[in-house]
Amino acid sequence: MNVIEIENLTYSYPGESTPALTNISLKIKKGDFLAVIGNNGCGKSTFCKVLNGLIPHFIAGEFDGRVIVNGLDTTESNVGNLAYNVGYVYQDFENQIVRPTVLDDASFACMNYLIPDYKEKGMEALEQCGLSGKEKDYIWQLSGGQKHLLALAGAVSLQPDILILDEPIAQLDPRHADQIYEVLKELNEEFGKTIIVIEHHTEYIADYCKNVLLLKDGQVQWKLPVNEALGRVDELVECNIFPPQVTVAAHHMKVNGNLEKSIMLPTTINLGVKTFGEFVWNASFLKKEGIKGNRQKEKAVSFQDVKLSYHAVKGEDHIVFDHLNLDIYKGEKIALIGSNGAGKSTLMKLMIGLLRAKEGEVRLNGNNIKNIKVQQLSKQISFVYQNPEEMFIKDSIEADIAYAMQVREIKDWEMRTEELMRRFRLTELRKRDGRLLSGGQMRRASLAIGIALNPGILLLDEPTANLDIATRKEIMHTLNVMKDVTETVMIATHDMQLVSEWAERIIVLCQGNVVADGTRDEIFDNHKIIDMVGIRPPEIFLMGQAIDKKALCYTVDEFLQGFVRKGGKKYA
Amino acid sequence: MREKLSESIFDKLTMNFLRNQVLKNAYGNDDTVIAGLDPRILILWYLFFGIVPWFSGNVVFLMGCFILVSITTLLARIAGLVLLLFGIGVFSQTGYLFLATLLFGGDASSIVPLLVLTLKIATVSLASITVFSGLDPDRLSNGLMWYGCPERFSFSISYAYRMLPVLMEEFEGVLLSYRLRGNPPDCDTLKGKIRYLIYQVKIIIHAFYPLMLNTAKRSRTTVEALEIKGYRYAASKKEAKKVRLSTLKVSFDDFLFLAISFFWVSLIIFLSGYF
Repeated sequence: MNVIEIENLTYSYPGESTPALTNISLKIKKGDFLAVIGNNGCGKSTFCKVLNGLIPHFIAGEFDGRVIVNGLDTTESNVGNLAYNVGYVYQDFENQIVRPTVLDDASFACMNYLIPDYKEKGMEALEQCGLSGKEKDYIWQLSGGQKHLLALAGAVSLQPDILILDEPIAQLDPRHADQIYEVLKELNEEFGKTIIVIEHHTEYIADYCKNVLLLKDGQVQWKLPVNEALGRVDELVECNIFPPQVTVAAHHMKVNGNLEKSIMLPTTINLGVKTFGEFVWNASFLKKEGIKGNRQKEKAVSFQDVKLSYHAVKGEDHIVFDHLNLDIYKGEKIALIGSNGAGKSTLMKLMIGLLRAKEGEVRLNGNNIKNIKVQQLSKQISFVYQNPEEMFIKDSIEADIAYAMQVREIKDWEMRTEELMRRFRLTELRKRDGRLLSGGQMRRASLAIGIALNPGILLLDEPTANLDIATRKEIMHTLNVMKDVTETVMIATHDMQLVSEWAERIIVLCQGNVVADGTRDEIFDNHKIIDMVGIRPPEIFLMGQAIDKKALCYTVDEFLQGFVRKGGKKYA
Repeated sequence: MREKLSESIFDKLTMNFLRNQVLKNAYGNDDTVIAGLDPRILILWYLFFGIVPWFSGNVVFLMGCFILVSITTLLARIAGLVLLLFGIGVFSQTGYLFLATLLFGGDASSIVPLLVLTLKIATVSLASITVFSGLDPDRLSNGLMWYGCPERFSFSISYAYRMLPVLMEEFEGVLLSYRLRGNPPDCDTLKGKIRYLIYQVKIIIHAFYPLMLNTAKRSRTTVEALEIKGYRYAASKKEAKKVRLSTLKVSFDDFLFLAISFFWVSLIIFLSGYF
């Protein structure tokens, strides 16, 4: 049975001459778990808003064609009726939560639609979404992952047959991301809901979805079963989508004749074990690497017995760090990892003087920063926020980049602004407001702002979060270029591909303690730490490990070089 | 020593501290006696203590009322900042008036009318504090709705409280950017301190532009989400109000609270006849 039927749908936003969606015809079966993919601006979000009736009922525009959802024609029905059939979770889900407490928000829709037992409905939804026991909590007490689950519960409460989620895991660490998808899986399998996700993470698509829909320039390219869809590597890469690393590795092997041409490309590690069964790890490849002689170098930052606690709104103070000791040396490229709430951002705020240690001291280039003002530190150390919007305080990015230099009357600040805009490819956009740029452009602008004062130490909080994979690659490239510009760089991140390709030293935080500190080999090969902190190494690393425990490869290239076929047979 | 004191006050008055206090005030005391009362009863109670003291000039009666609302304020566990603001407000009122009376040839006898005025202001303020910050915003808005306040008004109260932490977070972020990248004047001398203050005020004004734009960007999703969740649908239906208000229940505690207040007021009215 088809739960969604679309015939010849063409839609343009008001005032736009080119349509956002062109001539879409599509059928989606009941109980499907469908991933919608495509590059930025291909119409994914527009497509989803057509399904829940926001288009054309709330957002006008030119609408042509027919959309039937659960037997209802969306143009003839209204948003309220459709809400019983389609639930929607936004990408910026936090803004979707409108009530102050958990149960209130979960039951809000039911209450508005006059369901007498709305509280019970809300409770039921919370249970389905794994939030039982949190009913009375206030929104600001929840973690990012829990907020997402609550937004989902709000959509589930009306028990719609269809759930749509726009990039559900973009801001979450792997553990929370798994939790979201496990909840979705249960909703799909146990409760028979049809689930549609807009997703960039092809590893998750491979693990959880059944079918994949590729959109390109507002048109349907194809809808295929997941394994077949992800196997179309060239087509996906052309649309800036990166298939799972396992699939890419197998694809390369097929091209260079190391795998049979007829073989189906694996999409998950389990499938990969079968495909790569005849391969062995060439132990002579890749030697163990140590931290380059930085230990003898000067200290850039040092924490000595630092203690820090927050005032809680209710109850006792929350201790973040207790006797933290850590040294960071000049010239190091450090990745700071750990789950949400492990203290990563707090550590960075201590370094720039925004938070002051309660006990112990923080030294920057040898000086205790206790009595130095924040603005005086900013020449030595700079901090780029996770959310770039908060860095835009002027009405153009040119003014934003220039601001810190201008107010300090730094010589030739105009020239340096030009130079920074050129380096970060922002010259064309100079007059635009930072908030109105695309995700990648915003990041580049925030990085330019961050290094404007030419600090010796640069701190970046989640520089690749919320970006599609293509933009992420671009930012990773920018970060690599910046390696030569800024001496010491520290990045707090969940992105293990970034960690393993960029960092020279990795520090693992867990509940305010440094639980591991070393090179990528030392960290990713340490299973105890990985399990404890919930780190997910890059997929290709896990693939290598699944074939041979001794294998340590972090990129597809290393995998291709490190694994050889037994007997060296080639397929032409 | 003085420098240290001023520094520690400045340290305390960060946005983070303010946010904490506001949150504490709105949500940190939902388990107090006052918060457990029915909002309709409390609003009724407030109508008495918010209006009657204005019409009385009797020191004993006013003192009695003041004592009662002080106790309720204590019971509501109001955040320190609010009490501090209350203290400053009341003190500056009387202090200013007292100076004025002295200047224009008044004497000690002018203290009595001043005391009356102070007690009036203090009683009414404390009663307001008890009701408006002792109740959590949601119960307050439900109570107001029961008395016929438009649905939209009471929704905005609870929505404002939902948005408040978000707004403050956003504001904090923007101010932080100014702190990190700006270059405020030195504040070692008195002149420097004044310039520093002017600079701070300027920054706060400048910070509004990015704050508004960032918030506007976020609210787009909220507006759509409200539509999906049937907010507009419910606003047009009478039944929706009934469903919402069905949670309000008057309990034994409410009667006890009213009875004690009533008894106390009767007692002080009786006593005030003697003095």
